[in-house]
Amino acid sequence: MRGEGSASKKRVFEKITEELIELKNTSELMIDLAYSALLLNSVELAEEVEMLEEKMDKLHTDFELRILSSNFKPEEAKEFLGLMRIGSVTERIADAAEKISSLVLRGLKSHPVMNLVIEEAEETVVRAKVSEESPLVGKTIKEARINERTGMWILAIRRNNRWIRPKSTTRIKAGDVLIASGYTEGEEDFLHLVSGA
Amino acid sequence: MTHLEKIRYKPISVKKILREMKDISEVMIDLAYSAALFNNADLAREVMELEERVDTLSYLLNMNAMIAARDAGDAEALISILTVAAATNEISDAAADIAKLVLLEIGIHPIVREAFRRIEEQLIRVVVKPGSKLVNKKIGDLDLAAQIGVDIIAIRRVKKWIIDPKDDEVIRENDVLIARGAPMGIEKLRAMAEGKEVVIEE
Repeated sequence: MRGEGSASKKRVFEKITEELIELKNTSELMIDLAYSALLLNSVELAEEVEMLEEKMDKLHTDFELRILSSNFKPEEAKEFLGLMRIGSVTERIADAAEKISSLVLRGLKSHPVMNLVIEEAEETVVRAKVSEESPLVGKTIKEARINERTGMWILAIRRNNRWIRPKSTTRIKAGDVLIASGYTEGEEDFLHLVSGA
Repeated sequence: MTHLEKIRYKPISVKKILREMKDISEVMIDLAYSAALFNNADLAREVMELEERVDTLSYLLNMNAMIAARDAGDAEALISILTVAAATNEISDAAADIAKLVLLEIGIHPIVREAFRRIEEQLIRVVVKPGSKLVNKKIGDLDLAAQIGVDIIAIRRVKKWIIDPKDDEVIRENDVLIARGAPMGIEKLRAMAEGKEVVIEE
């Protein structure tokens, strides 16, 4: 009996951790996307940020409910409070990101100074799906050397309705949707690479 | 009673202030999570200092933007800057709230902390000791990213912060380095900063 209880408790903790990591990563991804949306004056990216904000709301509620229903002991209350506070912080970061991207949806343009502030201010943003034939499949972001080959940077990866913030160790899979920004000259090379054509 | 810094108008370019606010707010998030994960009060205090800096910058930016606006067109163009500045300020407040969890000893549940730590890249704060091989080296020459898989994301030199240091930045004695990387690389950097002999394998 005791073993069973601790196993289910372990699952609860795994789930809480998973959700917290997703909240954290989503909020950080939103900031990246929001800056890019503003710089590129991209309604498309700004709308992605809005969608992520809705996703955050849901995730955050699930996270809080899971903590509240996890039957923690009174002496653990403080540590669970800490988790809830961190959850709220991710939500506030997401709100800040949304504030930035909503400028675009309200038709307010970025000030020229902004483009100087955000150094990775590039000219274009593209979105492309990785085909089975692409040489990128199975490679990590580092191994794929997309920036060296095309001059484009990967901003975000969408995989089965989940957003991933790319790290050097993230492995690219067929079917991933890559969002990248860079100079217009690199766009064609990038699309070739991703489609494998 | 906290001591609040007195604010006086200084003519500083909006660009310079905004860049600093943006850079600091991003580093603060990383620092704050690490402070919570490692239950590290030193990191948490660094976050609180940066938060104060962002507050000061926010006042300066608003004042300079007010002076820059001459007509409706200027006002419309400047609103994006003020909005982004406000967002970076909110992000830095949010990061400070995570840091406060550490300073108020609320903490986060150790089981979650352990799990989180295994998955996420780590961040450390190390002081460069006299005699360390890092002293007087340019960041670009050290090429730590290629050598040990670690990135220096910020340097604190007494009261001055250098966020996202450039390749030609020279590391000095007693610099506080904030670096990010895989656990093994992080340990190597710590040893290097403390002046120990480190073997770098290919």
